Amino acid sequence: MAGSNEAGKADALQPHGAGTLRLSRPVLLLLVIVVLFAALVALYGFDATAQATVNGLVAGGYLGLGAIGLSLILGILKLVNFAHGDLLVAGAYFTILFGWLGLPLVVAMLFAMIATAALAVLTEKVVWQPLRQAGAGTLQLFLSAIGLALVLRFGIQFFAGSQVRTLGADIVSSITIGPIHLGTLQAVALVTGLVVMAVVGLALRFTGIGKEMRAFADNRALAEVSGINTRRIIDVTWAASGFLAALAGILYAVAIGSFNPNFGVTLLLSLFAATVLGGIGNAYGALIGGLVIGLSQEWSTLLLNARWKPAVGFALLILMLLLMPQGIFGKARRRS
Amino acid sequence: MGVSLKAGLLAGWTAVSILAVTATGPAAAASLDLTIGALLESTGPLSELGPPHEKATKLAVEAANKAAKDAGFDATVTLTSADSQGDPQAALSAARTLVDKNAACIVGPATTPESISVLNGITLQRKISLWPTATSTRLRTVKDGGTIFRTVPADDLQAKALVLAIEKHIGKGKNVAIAYRNEPYGDALSKGFTKNWEDEGGKVVATVVYDPQQASFDSEAGQVVASNADAYVVIDYPETYAKFGAALVRTGKFDAKKLFVPDAMAFAKVPDSIPGEAINGAYGVAAGAPTGTESVALFNKLWDEAGGVPNTSLTANIFDATILCFLSSVEAGSAEPGAITGKVRSVTQEGAPQFTIANLGDAVKAASAGKPIDYVGVSGAFRFMENGDPSSSPYDVFQYQDGKQVTIEQVQVQ
Repeated sequence: MAGSNEAGKADALQPHGAGTLRLSRPVLLLLVIVVLFAALVALYGFDATAQATVNGLVAGGYLGLGAIGLSLILGILKLVNFAHGDLLVAGAYFTILFGWLGLPLVVAMLFAMIATAALAVLTEKVVWQPLRQAGAGTLQLFLSAIGLALVLRFGIQFFAGSQVRTLGADIVSSITIGPIHLGTLQAVALVTGLVVMAVVGLALRFTGIGKEMRAFADNRALAEVSGINTRRIIDVTWAASGFLAALAGILYAVAIGSFNPNFGVTLLLSLFAATVLGGIGNAYGALIGGLVIGLSQEWSTLLLNARWKPAVGFALLILMLLLMPQGIFGKARRRS
Repeated sequence: MGVSLKAGLLAGWTAVSILAVTATGPAAAASLDLTIGALLESTGPLSELGPPHEKATKLAVEAANKAAKDAGFDATVTLTSADSQGDPQAALSAARTLVDKNAACIVGPATTPESISVLNGITLQRKISLWPTATSTRLRTVKDGGTIFRTVPADDLQAKALVLAIEKHIGKGKNVAIAYRNEPYGDALSKGFTKNWEDEGGKVVATVVYDPQQASFDSEAGQVVASNADAYVVIDYPETYAKFGAALVRTGKFDAKKLFVPDAMAFAKVPDSIPGEAINGAYGVAAGAPTGTESVALFNKLWDEAGGVPNTSLTANIFDATILCFLSSVEAGSAEPGAITGKVRSVTQEGAPQFTIANLGDAVKAASAGKPIDYVGVSGAFRFMENGDPSSSPYDVFQYQDGKQVTIEQVQVQ
């Protein structure tokens, strides 16, 4: 039921013209998930399946939340931001910095999100805007993004070192619901992910700036002649992307407990997978894409040795893209 | 001429020393300028090991210089170290830095992938002896041209030590669940353990493998505890165990007293990133030094007097590796890497006069005369097999109590 609601919302986000077959993609996916869940319960019992499902939602939640900002940049600015993983890392390390300056953890996190948003806008001003003005093509932008990722990562490593860090949160406390165990912070991360997805989705749909962003994404030239301030749209998109990346990075760092400056790059591939699977530029899509990857990986541990888990996630990505190349919520590309 | 006799002599002497230093081979026996390189895990997943390993090499170099002085043998030993970061690529570039600084042998690194990368990238080609503290049996099968020597026993012995420890603290023939980080170290050790444990009548009820970079470890942790095993063997590094251990505790069914860990998880003080509930009460094994010998007492005294980081596993083995490089160089009368590599067996020769760190000066005298010797290290005598590994070793069995490593007994494994 949740799936069909989301399908409705997602449809409303898209311009009209989506066919009936494409409309049913999220519903179809939900059906597949329900059937698979039932099959796993029949094979492995409710307890084991429910626990794997919860684990999958948690793992997928990190990915989905991290992918929302990536999806916004990719959808609206058409930029493959390879530095996005390092914005997650920046969020976690800004939290350490502000904590070190004496701020309480929650306040430090908030400041870190603002600082990362500022950092993202700064990359736009220093790197992306000049590159666009210089007429850089897709390949140049792509390589610059990889370069920027390295600069950010080693910049963080220069100041903070490469040793393992923690945010000092309690990572062993857990909630028990019947047969299911779930880390308290993991639950917080999952709920936050769902709330943020809803907020971003609604903001894109209902607020003025959200509508302008979608218009900009659809047709930049048309948006400009309609009097939309494109520079402002770009800045807001970067700020939102940085803010969400920091939030994802902080929640991941808090819930998993320990990290070093490389955690962003190890997550990046999964973040792209979630983005593409969900449908580029769609906030719900990014989160659902993340959840599908998380679920499939954790469910696979019931069937196969856990060592195959990362492979299963990406094999599924390829399979699903063969069946639905636009992703779960993506819009069909107009053929020219 | 205006040059005084004294200055002339000095200049002459300097010229002679320079000649002696630059010349290679036995001709340079009168003076030895040896540089020993150390590849240390200063940062990265094994960064807990960096500081104690560094201290062990420093102490060995100090001991070597002192022994040379005692023997009246003209030698200067210097230490140069670099950070291998737990990463094969970084380890190779660190090793190149060491070789650029004239390192004639290399002590470390701590992991098998790093060792293979350093071997193939530089040390094999230049015949530089490599002394890894990595314990995987895989290092035996690589083509090393006889350049790899280990003062640490390989994992086939460690697997037996784990079996002995579990039999002692949990019981014979019980059910064990294994979890390991997907790497050659965990893979080989897990297989070795399973074979030995089953040979002794025990059962392995689950083997769970995980990727160190995955975003969640809860399903894997759940499988480990769901097996209802009597004991758990977790083969991991501190960095990943910080996450995996937390996931084990979150299952609500984990008892750390049933946990057994190998040497990669041996640290003097539990790192802050690992939750106490995941480690306190856990047992572990690591290659140790024979207890009660004069050498060990002397080594511990040196360690304590030097101050700094507390002692931990494998420091004696690293100390011995550094000393063996020095003695081989003295025996060869040369600081040329290949000559040193060729003499390692001559300073650990069975039946030859035995020396320890208590009479290292005498060892230098004997070795500089070109006689074979048998250096009995702090970690015991070395009988290097054809593949450069020791054939037996004592293992410490330790337990983590209130965040500290406490050695509770020792087992001899061969």
